[in-house]
Amino acid sequence: MTDYGHDLLFGAFVTPTAQPVHHAVDLAVTADRAGLDLVTFQDHPYQPRFHDTWTLLSYAAARTERIHLSGNVLNLPLRQPAVLARSAASLDLLSGGRFELGIGAGGFWDAIEAMGGRRLSPGQAVDALEEAIHVIREVWAADRPGGIRVDGTYYRVQGAKRGPAPAHDVKVWIGAYKPRMLRLTGRVADGWLPTLQYLSGGPADLTAMNAHIDEGAVAAGRDPAGVRRLLNIGGRFATNGRALLDGPPEQWAEDLAGLALEYGVSAFILAADDPATLELFAAEVAPATRELVAEERARASR
Amino acid sequence: MSGNYGHRLEFGTFITPVNASPETPVALARRAEALGYDLVTFPDDPDQPAHLDAWTLLSWVAGRTDRIHLAANVLTAPLRSPAVIARSAASLDLLSGGRLQLALGTGDRVAAGSAGASGLDAVEAVGGPRLDPRTAVDALDESIDVVRAVLDAGDPTPVRYLGDHHRLAGASRGPLPAHHIPIWLGGSDPRLLRLVGTKADGWLATSGPDDLGTANKIIDEAARAAGRDPAEIRRLLNVSGRFSATRQGFLHGPAADWVEDLLPLVVEHGIGTIVLMTDDGATLERFAREVAPALREAVDRALPAPLPRTARRTASVRAKRRPGIAYDEVPASLADGAVEPGDIAYAHVKSTYLRGGAPGLVLRPRDPAEVADALAFARAHRHLPLGVRSGGHGISGRSTNDGGLVISLARMNEIRVLDEATRRVRIGPGARWMDVAAALAPYGWALTSGDYGGVGVGGLATAGGVGWLARKHGLTIDHLRAVELVLADGTQVRASDTENPDLFWAVRGAGANFGIVTAFEFEVDEVGPVGWAQFALDASRPTDLLTRWGAAVEAAPRDLTSAILMGPPRPGQPPVAQVMAMVDSDDPATIVAQLQPVADIAPGYDQSVVITSYASVMANASDAPHQAQGEPISRTGLLAHLTPEFAEAAARLLASGVVYFFHIRSIGGAVTDVDPDAMAWSHRGANFHVTAFGRHRGRLDALWDDLLGPHLRGTYLSFETDLRPERVGEAFPPRTLARLRTLKRRYDPDCLFRDNFAIAPEPTPEPSARTTP
Repeated sequence: MTDYGHDLLFGAFVTPTAQPVHHAVDLAVTADRAGLDLVTFQDHPYQPRFHDTWTLLSYAAARTERIHLSGNVLNLPLRQPAVLARSAASLDLLSGGRFELGIGAGGFWDAIEAMGGRRLSPGQAVDALEEAIHVIREVWAADRPGGIRVDGTYYRVQGAKRGPAPAHDVKVWIGAYKPRMLRLTGRVADGWLPTLQYLSGGPADLTAMNAHIDEGAVAAGRDPAGVRRLLNIGGRFATNGRALLDGPPEQWAEDLAGLALEYGVSAFILAADDPATLELFAAEVAPATRELVAEERARASR
Repeated sequence: MSGNYGHRLEFGTFITPVNASPETPVALARRAEALGYDLVTFPDDPDQPAHLDAWTLLSWVAGRTDRIHLAANVLTAPLRSPAVIARSAASLDLLSGGRLQLALGTGDRVAAGSAGASGLDAVEAVGGPRLDPRTAVDALDESIDVVRAVLDAGDPTPVRYLGDHHRLAGASRGPLPAHHIPIWLGGSDPRLLRLVGTKADGWLATSGPDDLGTANKIIDEAARAAGRDPAEIRRLLNVSGRFSATRQGFLHGPAADWVEDLLPLVVEHGIGTIVLMTDDGATLERFAREVAPALREAVDRALPAPLPRTARRTASVRAKRRPGIAYDEVPASLADGAVEPGDIAYAHVKSTYLRGGAPGLVLRPRDPAEVADALAFARAHRHLPLGVRSGGHGISGRSTNDGGLVISLARMNEIRVLDEATRRVRIGPGARWMDVAAALAPYGWALTSGDYGGVGVGGLATAGGVGWLARKHGLTIDHLRAVELVLADGTQVRASDTENPDLFWAVRGAGANFGIVTAFEFEVDEVGPVGWAQFALDASRPTDLLTRWGAAVEAAPRDLTSAILMGPPRPGQPPVAQVMAMVDSDDPATIVAQLQPVADIAPGYDQSVVITSYASVMANASDAPHQAQGEPISRTGLLAHLTPEFAEAAARLLASGVVYFFHIRSIGGAVTDVDPDAMAWSHRGANFHVTAFGRHRGRLDALWDDLLGPHLRGTYLSFETDLRPERVGEAFPPRTLARLRTLKRRYDPDCLFRDNFAIAPEPTPEPSARTTP
């Protein structure tokens, strides 16, 4: 049993399709009205069937009122860290503190290189991500004296001004799977954002991965509970339960409460591109899951 | 003196994107929109922590405005990947409905007109490349190439670009933006000005009036040297000033003095957009109310001809024009919506659902008067093919062509209930059937209309309309009560049983030969929830399967309409037929009882039966633009019964492998209730409609003519691609064809409408004495 004790978040993972043009924005609005906590979009700048994720996030933020927004996850290799930091702070300021920074090291290197990006080995990409997060946090640290100097192997900042600071403490969430990236996540990130379908062993894989994160956190003198564990999930609603996240909403709630209490997952981001599924997730699954987890936590603390 | 370049005079604003109160620049942008400004811009300094990121702010403001155009002033190109700039620009243009203009610069603040240390140092300080003023312009030059290449979504090849600063190794192009995004460059360095002349669509200046003449000269010379017309390049000028009671200096005085100061900039220096730099709401308002309109009037007085109201096409766009089209004589009513091969929208309109095309001009009328204008233009271009397009799904209909004209009716897509009591509905030709179904559903109504939601109303409702409720409710045209159409000579007429009844008869089955219908009036049916079934059946005995399916369908109550789909043999896989059926009933027992005999015709692999709405069955098409390539190859025909002999022939056709898609739909039922002479569509005895698609014209025709031809009685032109003249005779029996030819002589004697199975007009009686020239 692992439970890091965070409040539960429920979100949407929406395909940033460019056609129909406003499909993803409409779903963000649906998620906002339905009371979900988070709407997220994947970021594949080499994919012309998708909107540019940064543009879509900014536009969708302007069209929503309450929901938080994040890339899931933003593709670092095609974005300049200092520009990304200022863009993120700007969006957080404009949206009244509703932006979170989900970010990844990049993976489709052929496509990144085709777009004019720099090809990195997996190991280099981990180091580059760490440098970039350092640059981003330096930009956001508007109160610190002096200009920013980061003399990295992949990113160099030479005396740039600090700021702006975001409107709220923007969380940095990393999409990570391999041990080095997981330890990096434990060392520097505010959250970990993997996708359940990519775990070959299913949820059971989370145990070992959590351990890498915890190890990274402890080695850096951090409390492992400071790293929120988020999870992209997929599933379908059906009258009869057949498998994990394939059944009626009550079964979903039990499945998700299990993931929360067993593996410490405290944010569930559902991949869905239809309003009815998002509404059902928000209206039935989220409150029932919260209730089950609250009961269990209360029981455990007695 | 460069003079005026003939652009529509526009007004913009330059707003400081302060992040201390982020709502302030947003509110000013909304105020500018409300005041009628054309453009709002925000600067993008490379290292300015007091500002909001320009792109983020532009995207946000796009979400909070409706009309005003948006641009950075200017975007610091070296800090962003040009390929990402392009995709971001396309996204923002799409999301904003075509409101993005892309203004780029090197980041060099000195060049951009403000004081201070080189902006290029700031670019480097925040992590960008080390550039000097020369290499910065070179890199910008390459960025323009990359941005344009990525935005050129109509080109299917990946982008390969090998520059000194930017290298792309096979990036995909697109998405296609909503409009042609102009690229403006900001700066005053002579190298940059020459780049404006060679490549850009506009120059965004912050120069004083004295420098404008010199700068324009550099731009114009570079443009001419590159073979461009300098007038293609819009000149935009950032200006600032103060209103005061008495004149204190340039743009510092009463509004009338501002007009006086700005007039020579427009008339003599060719400034097309004046961008007011202010964060003061009162100044913004006063300029909009007192300066902008007065300046427009003063400019129109000072110039020999008033400035145009629409954008002009550049030399690179005009270079893609096709011969034999008087592009500059497109009627004014249609000029705004016309699309020619060099236009950004061309990739979205050139092709249809199944056919690749390359028309020379697409006209997009919005009302019957504009349709008449389009037909007048077409009459002046009789030497060219003329396609008329509603939804662009026509398999037969030549709604695109190569080098000819297309009249697209997509904008005439109104769906309006005229009278609830009689279920009378008026529908424009450009509406799609899925939209019609969705609009009728709230009333508990439906109109049977083919089997695919993306099909347009105009083509189907002038040809027949064999739909999922055919056996219960007849053809689509059986519901038609009146049409309004524009004839070949431009006359607008109404046709019904009592008005022009001959024409009304002809339109229902042969409409494509007689005019362009601009409105259909239908009497629709009450249709509640329906049963919808999909079966995957064993097709290893195809002759038996087809015969049994035909018999089951003919024996079924009229509630049931069905279709069967088969394909060629697939190595190593069992042959499977897909059977679909709709039952017009919401009673599960009735649905199951009616479906059972159809399901029982062969062992099943899979089945699905749901109770749903007609509208949701029809909601099966995407909103994506058509992008087909090549020509569809199909044959089609009608027959009364699926006899064992026909089924055997069909099985042999399928076994040949020449056919990749074989489709039979049920008709019969209510369709047979109508008198064959009531409309031009007269095959009332047909119970089935069969269609095959192949990849090879000659092989399909030979097999079809040999195997299926003898069994067929008549044809349904909408699915036919064979252009041999016999097809028209099969579509219209002799008595019908004779009447159509008489009417063709009356309504379209010169055969303007000839590209969709032309009916030859009955010859005019010979004059008694022939004159010889």
